[in-house]
This record gives sequence, C-alpha cells and structure tokens, in this order.
Amino acid sequence: MPPTGDPLARRYRRLLWCHPRAYRRARGEEMVGVLLDGAPPGRTRPTLREAVDLLRHGLRCRLGRPASRTVGVWATLAAVICGLFTGAAATRVAWETSRPQPDRAEAAALFADVFPGHRLGDVEPATALFTFYSQPLRLRNLDQVLLGDGGEYQQGETLLSAAGAPPTPAGRMLTDTERRLREAGWQVYEPMVSGDSGCTDKWCASIVRFTETTILARRGDTALRVTITSPPQGVSSYLLVSVNRTAPPAVLPAGLLGGLLGAGLGWLAFGWASRRTDAGHPAGGVVTALFGVSMLLWWSPALLTVPHLLGHHLDEPHPSWHPLWEWLGQPALALFFVGGALCALLGLALAALPRHAADPLPTAAAG
Amino acid sequence: MLTRVTPMREPTFLILTALAAGPRHGYGLIQEVAALSEQRVTLLPGTLYAALDRLSAQGLVAPDREETVDGRLRRYYRLTPDGVSALDAETARLRQLTTAAEARLRPLRARTA
Repeated sequence: MPPTGDPLARRYRRLLWCHPRAYRRARGEEMVGVLLDGAPPGRTRPTLREAVDLLRHGLRCRLGRPASRTVGVWATLAAVICGLFTGAAATRVAWETSRPQPDRAEAAALFADVFPGHRLGDVEPATALFTFYSQPLRLRNLDQVLLGDGGEYQQGETLLSAAGAPPTPAGRMLTDTERRLREAGWQVYEPMVSGDSGCTDKWCASIVRFTETTILARRGDTALRVTITSPPQGVSSYLLVSVNRTAPPAVLPAGLLGGLLGAGLGWLAFGWASRRTDAGHPAGGVVTALFGVSMLLWWSPALLTVPHLLGHHLDEPHPSWHPLWEWLGQPALALFFVGGALCALLGLALAALPRHAADPLPTAAAG
Repeated sequence: MLTRVTPMREPTFLILTALAAGPRHGYGLIQEVAALSEQRVTLLPGTLYAALDRLSAQGLVAPDREETVDGRLRRYYRLTPDGVSALDAETARLRQLTTAAEARLRPLRARTA
C-alpha cells in the first residue's frame, strides 16, 4: 500500500520507525493496515497504549531472535553498561565547566578566615582539575593508568598546612573551627575521629597514641577537609587543610543525557549484531563468545566497586559524591574496560561479515 | 521443528486456537482472540506481531497468502503441522488440569450446596 495522505496512517508509519528497516519493509504496511482496521472512525492520532505497544515491539524486534526468551536480558545488560560508561564520560566532560581548583591566593585567604592565629606553612596548589599522582595526566602516563595505577587518577586538591606549634589545644581548635566555618556560611558535617599510634619526634624516640579529627565542610562549589592531629606527629603539621571543587551543576544532566544516548546506542549495536548473527552466520558462535567476554570485563569492575564505594559513602559524610567513573571501577581497572571494548569491537566487526544464506523466513527481522 | 514452550501463555494459546479454524489475517486474529476470550484479551498489533514472529520462528505458524482490501495489505497466517501438535498438546494439558480441579471441586460443591 503506497503512503497516503491519511494523517492517522502517517502517524502509525512514523511509530514503526522503532522497528528495523528490513522488518518495516516486510511487515510495515501490513501492520499499518491492522492498526487502521482497528481504529474507530474519526480517530486522527494513535492512542498512548498503541504507541507504547509499538515502541516496545519495535525495540524487541531490533534484537531479532524472536523465539529467544533471554535476548532481552542480554540486550539490557549491554545497554545499561554502555549507558553507564557513556554517562561517566559525559560527566567527565561536564566537569570541565567547573571553576579551576582553588589557587594559592584563594586557599591562603580561606586559611586566614577560618584559622586566625595559626601560621600558614606550606601551600601546594592543585595542578589540574583531576590529577594522576598529584600531576596533570599526560599521554605518557597511559601505560601506568592501564597497568594498575589507574586509581591514582583523582580529583586535584590544594593542600595547606599550619606551621609551628598549635596555639590552642586540639579540642578548642575543633570547636573554634566549626564555629568559624558556620559563621562564614559553610555547611559543616559531623566530625570524624580516629586514633592510632605514632612518633612524637622525627627520631621516633617514643611511641604515643594520637587522635586525628577530620572536619568536612562545603560552601557553594568548594569543599574543605580539615585534619587536626593531637598531639602533633614528628615533623607533620598539627593542622592540614585541603580544598577542592564539588561537582558542577552540569554534571548531572550531562550524565543523564550521555547515559541515555549510550544506552540507546548500546541497544541498537547489540540488536544489529544479534540480527546479523541469528542464523547462517560464519562467526555467530565467536561473536556470542566475544560478547560474553566483553560483558564480563565491563560489568565485573563495576560490581566489585559499587559495594565497596557504597560502604565508604555510608561510613563518612561526603560534601560531593565520587565521580561516576569511580563507581564503575574506572580508571582503577582500566585494563578490563579496554579489554571489553576490544572484544566488543571485534565482535561487531565479525558480525559485519556476510552471512551464508538469506534468512529463510520472509517476515523475520533481518538487516 | 517443534520448540513449543510449556506452559503456553494465554494469548499464544488463543492465537493458535483462532488459527485452528483456518487462516486469518492480523485484524481478523485480534477480533477472533477477543471473541474466544469473551473480550478479556484484547491484543494490540505490536503484541500480536511479537507473538506471530515468535510462533513463526518456532515453526508453529506460517504466512499463508496476501490480499489487498480497500488499499490495505492483509497477510493471512495458518497453523503448521507443528502448530497443530503444539495446540493439541497444550489443550490436553489444560484438559487434564481442568479434570483434576473438577474432581476436587465436586465434593466441595456438594457440601456447600
């Protein structure tokens, strides 16, 4: 049936765009005919129920293998992990909208505001928004990132320390710091206290118990971590401060958009390869095996990391969540990601090989 | 090829039952399934064609012929011999279940009557 000027038929045809092209060619007009036969007189638009039904069928149809009960599960696994990776990449790009990490002047001014009466010692400004071993990530570091040191790729921070002896006892310092931070408009989180044993001087003549109290605070796009050690240990300062930026507002929408786009592309790529290798494909078995390996390599770092990072988040307050890629075990386990990507690409390339024979079912989705 | 899934879902059973009376086109199948189920099951075209794709891949139904009515393409589907066997097996299974349930319900009905 050639396309007509009937607006309802045109709209039904538009909804069929969720189906693969070959399927639309084979079944499109037949389905439009059924939809028109079932539409009451005067209807000009598809109902929401029809639209959802066609969308659902179209997405399923893209996976081929109509008799399979598990292909949808595999496609979902592929789409979700693709969405998570692209979402993570999009959030990293969105991080570039952040202000640069606090420089020496901003950090020193902050120190003077919050710690009057303390003498500022060393200041180590952040070298980049995200750093690798405190330095900007360079191409020459790629092998280190891939071979186990990926976890060192972290958000940069400007570090400050106080010089000399503490002017007030640690308890007083803690209450003064919290009060000043609140007065200056900082959101102050519950302090965390930990204890350990250490040396009191650089010769480590005697071992004593010491207490480390950490205060976390956030104001606008800046996060602050204050560590007060009592009594001071060896040559280390009694007061350490680190400042960095929190995730900029663009990160969330970028992650969501990137995630949806990646999930959609993952579904389409999986569906294309699944239809290509459904029957009579010379490398069907190899493609299936490569897909399994890539899912294992992509999912296992995420499944290993999420419980660990979730526990960490619940254990202590976080002015800003860890970046999405860290939840996926990246780039700490970057080798897994690269291995999975190579398997997936090889699988797609093999799926593109010509099939032995045409699909014997005239109405099956292929192509 | 007979790769019937047991137990069969109700819409699948109704589609095969509708086709047991003879080849039908898509819209005819929707109407017949609604009639067989006393309007309980109303198939939408996406659901119908997902079922037809699956049943075709399982070799239980096959395209029969095509015709054009009022400018609309109609493709008819028919049961294959495997489809007849699958429907027969499912009917026997349901009959056995119904018979067992009836046998247990009979004394209960008598007691509550």
